[in-house]
Amino acid sequence: MISLYQRRRFWNIFNMSMATLATLFGLFWLVWILWTTLSYGFSALHPALFTENTPPPGVDGGGLKNAFVGSLILISLAVAIGAPLGILAGTWLGEFAVRRRFGSVVRFFNDILLSAPSIVIGLFVYAIIVHPLGQFSAISGAIALALIMIPVVVRTTDEMLQLVPSTLREAAIALGVPYWRLVTQITWRAAGAGILTGVLLATARISGETAPLLFTALNNQFYSTSLDRPIANLPVVIFQFAMSPYQNWQAMGWAGALIATLAVLALSIVSRLIIKGKTKGGA
Amino acid sequence: MADFDQHISQRFDEELHDIRSMVLAMGGLVEEQVANAIKALQSGDAELASETISRDHEVNGYEVRIEEECIGIIARRQPAASDLRLVMTIIKTVADLERMGDKAVKIANMALAIDHGAQGSNHALLRDIEGMGKYALDMLRRAMDALARVDADAAIEIAKGDEMLNQEYRSAMRRLITYMMEDPRTITSAIDALFVAKAIERIGDHARNICEYVIYLAKGKSVRHLPLDEVAETWQGE
Amino acid sequence: MPVPPSTAAKISVRNLEFFYGNNQALKDIHLEIPERRVTAFIGPSGCGKTTLLRVFNRMYSLYPGQRASGEVLLDNENILLPQMDLNRLRARVGMVFQKPTPFPMSIYDNIAFGVRLYERLRRTQMDERVEQALRQAALWDEVKDNLKGSGLGLSGGQQQRLCIARAVAVKPEVILLDEPTSALDPIATLKIEELVSELRDQFTIVIVTHNMQQAARVSDYTAFMYLGEMVEFGQTNQLFTNPGKKQTEDYITGRYG
Repeated sequence: MISLYQRRRFWNIFNMSMATLATLFGLFWLVWILWTTLSYGFSALHPALFTENTPPPGVDGGGLKNAFVGSLILISLAVAIGAPLGILAGTWLGEFAVRRRFGSVVRFFNDILLSAPSIVIGLFVYAIIVHPLGQFSAISGAIALALIMIPVVVRTTDEMLQLVPSTLREAAIALGVPYWRLVTQITWRAAGAGILTGVLLATARISGETAPLLFTALNNQFYSTSLDRPIANLPVVIFQFAMSPYQNWQAMGWAGALIATLAVLALSIVSRLIIKGKTKGGA
Repeated sequence: MADFDQHISQRFDEELHDIRSMVLAMGGLVEEQVANAIKALQSGDAELASETISRDHEVNGYEVRIEEECIGIIARRQPAASDLRLVMTIIKTVADLERMGDKAVKIANMALAIDHGAQGSNHALLRDIEGMGKYALDMLRRAMDALARVDADAAIEIAKGDEMLNQEYRSAMRRLITYMMEDPRTITSAIDALFVAKAIERIGDHARNICEYVIYLAKGKSVRHLPLDEVAETWQGE
Repeated sequence: MPVPPSTAAKISVRNLEFFYGNNQALKDIHLEIPERRVTAFIGPSGCGKTTLLRVFNRMYSLYPGQRASGEVLLDNENILLPQMDLNRLRARVGMVFQKPTPFPMSIYDNIAFGVRLYERLRRTQMDERVEQALRQAALWDEVKDNLKGSGLGLSGGQQQRLCIARAVAVKPEVILLDEPTSALDPIATLKIEELVSELRDQFTIVIVTHNMQQAARVSDYTAFMYLGEMVEFGQTNQLFTNPGKKQTEDYITGRYG
């Protein structure tokens, strides 16, 4: 006779092994993708990538300098627009609209925006900025990226602020602290690590976005830093080069993908270090 | 009275119940000791007197055990309000009971001593003792009843009766002095009888003390140094 | 009903009713809280003792749907009036909570933060004030070498004393303690209790506690509340040896069920 204990043991082992298998299955693909990126990317790494601009079709050599600079400009602008807006809106939700009906309506729409396909955002910006101005531009790309970033930052800020114990707020209120000082000096500080992490993760997310840029910043074969012109950027260049028939373009595409991956990885690691440092050492 | 309500902790109820039963048992034993001592004195029963003396350690044993239990309850339960008053009342009551036990031993010793003297004169000398002894025993018994029922009104009545016993003692003393003056040969046994009378009078005082503790237990007021007539008025208004 | 306190009343509660939405939490409370004494509120969970405490600094005003009627006079000024300046009120009536709530900043700044709200002090004066507050909270010796360290790095008992120091530093008149030791171990609890006894000369202290022995140990006056009503208020000695009401008796002797 199988005792209850043995049956439990069996199910325990069965479930554990199934869960492990499922994890391994997922990891397998992830490692494969990373390994492919790494191996193709490393073999294409070359100092000229950072010093030369994208080559015309059929020409050997060249690099991705204009795309790197373009991406940096786009992302910096997007963060400069998106992070403050997102943090302020998230603060409004998390501090001032917690128990209000309007707050939950806003939170609901923010969640919809959060899951909206990025190409829709791209089309939207195309319709309201690019089309009326009659020109693709860096600024419209940055705005599209900022629009993708904002809901993420709003959400994390809102949640991080709601994680701040209400007793901490009451403690400050009990000292006679005006509410704005409570928010800026106590709750933002308490939730700071979480909010910063949200911004970094949102940055990581937009740094890989391609679709919205196709409708907005487009691409530029040449080095450009002007905001009212199309601008080169890594995701679109990778997209274009990978689809091309030219060997050197494909290799550069891999190299670009590798560098984009490493940048995102670095951002994730930095955000983790920030969280760890905050929780360990405190203020 | 809250005594009949249950604590949330049944164990605490049991502990309080146990010490109350022990105190009542100790009271019964002391009653018996006093009664036996007086009886031995009157009948000249040396055996009963010796037995009374030898049983005093039981009384002492009760005192030690009850005190330990009470200290344990204070340490572990931190009793409050009526529980606290009950524990304090019991600690004080057992001290008085133990003293009464000692008085019984004193009387029993007298019984052994007086036994060797002349029967006739002793009989006359011991006449007062009988009445006083009965009276004191009655006070003790009723005081223990009042404690068992936490009856402040009864306690007051009993305490008031102590004055009677004190008067009895004073008149016994006057009579004994008269004997001694009339016939110096009775001096030795008269002094013995006087000590016995004094011992019985003290038993009445201890019974009165117990009644005062009962009043404190029931009403939460210390009445030790108030005239008894005024005591009842302090809670009549409630 | 209440025994008149022997000293002047710092806070007089008259006919106070309190509502959470439609639920009445306090019913016709009358109470005189004596100045520079420790007053304890005891009673079973949900009896309204914390609610009453939170009326004294209008903490409930944070939450819509909570309202109070009647009068609560702090030095003869009705703090329930809508025109009451809440920040000024809270400067006069400090509060320490159940769980320690150090701010996410250094030990020094935790204390200086509250002071800066009301006073502009020069650096040396502020240093003095911080030291004085930490000494009053019996924490100075433990943290004097680590004032720049995070307040969150302290132990639970130290954090709670830091919170008391923070409350004391703004020089309030009244200090409200809401179950200040319920999250602490017995030794840390005793330190807080000792602290309360030392602060009673300078402040009017009101403490809510679930721990009856604690109320018995630290307070001069005790109020027993039950189902939103003030059942009995009196000197602590009296209340714990010979309570006037059967409900009080049953509660403090552990018969309340």
